[in-house]
Amino acid sequence: MSPAAEGAGKPSLAASPETAVRTEGLTKRFGRHHAVDGLDLTVPRGAVFGFLGPNGSGKTTTIRMLLGLVSPTAGRVEVLGEEMPARLMGVLPRVGALVEGPAFYPFLSGEANLHRLDTADLRAPVRTRGERVKSALERVGLEHAAHKRVHAYSLGMKQRLGLAAALLAPRELLVLDEPTNGLDPQGTREVRSLIRSLAQDGTTVFVSSHLLAEVEQICTHAAMLRTGKLVAQGTLDELRGAALPRVEVRTPDESQAAEVLRGLGLSPERSAPGTVVASSAANDGAPAPEEVVAALVGAGVRVRGFAAAAASLEERFVELTGEGFDVAQ
Amino acid sequence: MLLSSAPASARLFVSELSVLFRRWRTWTMLAALAAVPVLIGLAVRFSPKGPPSGRGPAFLDQITHNGLFAGVVGLVVCTPLFLPLTVGVVAGDTIAGEANLGTLRYLLAAPAGRVRLLVVKYLASAVFCVAAALAVVVGGTLTGAVLFPLGQATLLSGDTISPGEAFGRLLLMAGYVTVSLLGLSAIGLFASTMTNVPVGAMAATIVLAVVSQVLDALDQLDWLHPWLFSDHWLSVADLLREPIAWGSFGENTLLQLGYIALFGALAYGRFTTKDVLA
Amino acid sequence: MKRIWTRWLPAAAVPAVIAVGVLAAGAAAVSPPPPATPEQVLGLVASHAARQFSGTVEEKADLGLPSIPSQALAPATKSATLGSEAALLELLTTAHTARVYADGPTKLRVQVMDQLAERDAIRNGNDAWTFDSKTNEVTHTTLPAGTGSEPSPTAKAPVMTPDQLAQRFLAAAGPSTNVTLGQSAPVAGHSAYALVLTPKTSGTLVSSVQIAVEAQTGLPLSVDVYAKGQKDPAFHSAFTKLDLGAPDASVFAFTPPAGATVKQQPAPTPKASAGTMPKSPSTASPKASAGTTPKSPESAPSWDTVLVVPAAKVPAGLLDQPLVKQLATPVAGGRLLSSSLVNILITDDGRVLAGAVPASTLLAKAAQ
Repeated sequence: MSPAAEGAGKPSLAASPETAVRTEGLTKRFGRHHAVDGLDLTVPRGAVFGFLGPNGSGKTTTIRMLLGLVSPTAGRVEVLGEEMPARLMGVLPRVGALVEGPAFYPFLSGEANLHRLDTADLRAPVRTRGERVKSALERVGLEHAAHKRVHAYSLGMKQRLGLAAALLAPRELLVLDEPTNGLDPQGTREVRSLIRSLAQDGTTVFVSSHLLAEVEQICTHAAMLRTGKLVAQGTLDELRGAALPRVEVRTPDESQAAEVLRGLGLSPERSAPGTVVASSAANDGAPAPEEVVAALVGAGVRVRGFAAAAASLEERFVELTGEGFDVAQ
Repeated sequence: MLLSSAPASARLFVSELSVLFRRWRTWTMLAALAAVPVLIGLAVRFSPKGPPSGRGPAFLDQITHNGLFAGVVGLVVCTPLFLPLTVGVVAGDTIAGEANLGTLRYLLAAPAGRVRLLVVKYLASAVFCVAAALAVVVGGTLTGAVLFPLGQATLLSGDTISPGEAFGRLLLMAGYVTVSLLGLSAIGLFASTMTNVPVGAMAATIVLAVVSQVLDALDQLDWLHPWLFSDHWLSVADLLREPIAWGSFGENTLLQLGYIALFGALAYGRFTTKDVLA
Repeated sequence: MKRIWTRWLPAAAVPAVIAVGVLAAGAAAVSPPPPATPEQVLGLVASHAARQFSGTVEEKADLGLPSIPSQALAPATKSATLGSEAALLELLTTAHTARVYADGPTKLRVQVMDQLAERDAIRNGNDAWTFDSKTNEVTHTTLPAGTGSEPSPTAKAPVMTPDQLAQRFLAAAGPSTNVTLGQSAPVAGHSAYALVLTPKTSGTLVSSVQIAVEAQTGLPLSVDVYAKGQKDPAFHSAFTKLDLGAPDASVFAFTPPAGATVKQQPAPTPKASAGTMPKSPSTASPKASAGTTPKSPESAPSWDTVLVVPAAKVPAGLLDQPLVKQLATPVAGGRLLSSSLVNILITDDGRVLAGAVPASTLLAKAAQ
């Protein structure tokens, strides 16, 4: 990108203090493979931002570019209002990160590992180091294992230690790559509540995940990535609203039901023996669930069960990313 | 910026040293190096025939007169292979080892700063060079003191010096050997930025050390010899002449500085442009 | 981030800086010597007063001889009959660096700095010592009072200073030699004249001898012997470092170290010391045959002189020595050790003929 193009047309990135992360045309090529392709991402401050995408869709590469580990082939990155990676040394102390799983020196204790990482942070005050390490360990429930070598940690403990490392200093932005990976249900709940409490304190959290349920539970915003391209982003409600309504009918009269549904402008399909699902082709003008039931019953279809599925993020995800599409179609 | 971060950089260096010296592997290598003069001393002390004159490693027959020569023989014996081996392991591990553990991405995201990390890593491997040379000296001095008299020492020139001065010369030799290994350390650092597999970088470094010595032994390539980083390695014995032949010390230092500058610059070029994917 | 290539600039700059540094160091600013005639330079050498100096001498030979690994020579060096020949071969086939300290005619120390070893020759007043660190052997000779000559190179310390070498060549440079001045070039940071000695005869293998002469003191700084048909010098001896101050007196003090084998050697007979060297096989060295031998009263100084050692003075069974068999090729009537500068013929009847002459001359002489 030439300096001339910067100055003209586009608004300056720096003049957006209300965004925690912003990318413009972010692209990374490895040889001929586009790992990330023209990504325009906007993460508002204070958001818990879910970064969704199937494996290999470019989530981790994007996160690495946000942290200055990988330099973009094209496009721009702005983190906390500062240009990356030019201002990396000034930005990263304000960012906590967990990238592609935790990684530690197995021959050092958990506490020593955190000391080491905090020492690597140029701006971390040495005076409060011990205190901060201790409270970070307490926050993730590892105070009892502080002096154990990481070698002896379980995967879940390492994951917690990774979170502790991200919490060593007060952060304005947390970038967490699959933070609940390897945690038991109890640990997962703890991490979720940790993220919520951090968000309440005003920290922006950028969470990548392939677990939609998780994102639905904790996120306010989300973006979806497919083969390096952004397919949707916005608040959770915006994303859900974009999903198409759907009904599910349990009946022995499958073909008859399908005909009725088609008459109502839905596109039915047989999902299992005795079950027909149908979704509307468009968001507007879809019949209300009670109308559908009335039409079915009126046509003499033996309705044994009926559900009007609330639009879920998962459906939206499936629609947009093509993952898990019904092969019977 | 650089000045204000000096204390923080110093602390990172201390942290780097503590990581290096809290590794079991580091101490194993130092113990192995210290064991070389110990074995030599034991062999000389308990061999039935006594040391053969003019055979075996240089200075071997001197050990019986002055135990400090166990350290001298140790340094000379370790210089071609054992010392480059251990330095290759440490220098080859600097960046590639962190990449392999995955800790490299966390150090850089901390942010440690790439140049700062590179400098700190190199300095730590230089400290290991000192430790490695001193390990041989300590092993040799202890063995010599226990098994042999610490009498007058004969220099290569036939002159005789006091035990105290002999110990000074031994320390000078350790310094020389340390300097000799600094160029190899820089090569190892560069190799380490090229890969995420530490064993690869270590092997490349050690192989280069051997290749350099082989080339140094070929008379047909004598135009190349002054440019080989191992060219002055065995000139460490110049410190055992009377008066001390400082020429090789100076030339060696200059040569090693050249290697540090070149491979340091290459490592800088590689590491600051590298995509950290590990 | 777009200017990523700039990160590689230091890596490109370092070799450039090193190259500049090397070139700058090579082109040390030394002013050329004032103009002079060859005769003036010869006079300067003859009267040279630099009797005090310390320096480093580099010596190497490129005689076209096969390079013999020192390991192969090591056992031979210890053999009683072949020790000095093996040491001589070592001198002819490998390069040496030696430190030289001189203070007047009776104080000299030469230290041949081998890898992890050293050979010393020390002359301090009437005491002459040699020391070999490999064997821990010391020889001691008490010279008769008033002996002026410097200690000669021996098998233990086979290096001569450029000074000693040059004196011998110049002494031999009689009417059979053209003396001219070549392009002057500094040696060891000292401004120097370049004397060129060219044999008039075509019967020698020596093409020319170049001697660098220190412009102020007249001390010879380097000697290069060129063989016919060879671009690089066949023999090169030069100071690489030179300090014209008096060395510390302690340098010449020598006490045999504890545990060393000390051999007392008789002082050379007056006759031998009146010549240039004690009776030693190194008289067969190329330097000796080209430069020294002509000085002995028996033979006339000439470049194409052939030295003949009668069979009686040659160690018996020389032809059967493995080293000789390995190096010398069989020819009609004996075995020939051939090099670019000197040929040595060992005849079947036990004589040894040597000279800086073509092999055919030796064969012809042997047949006489």
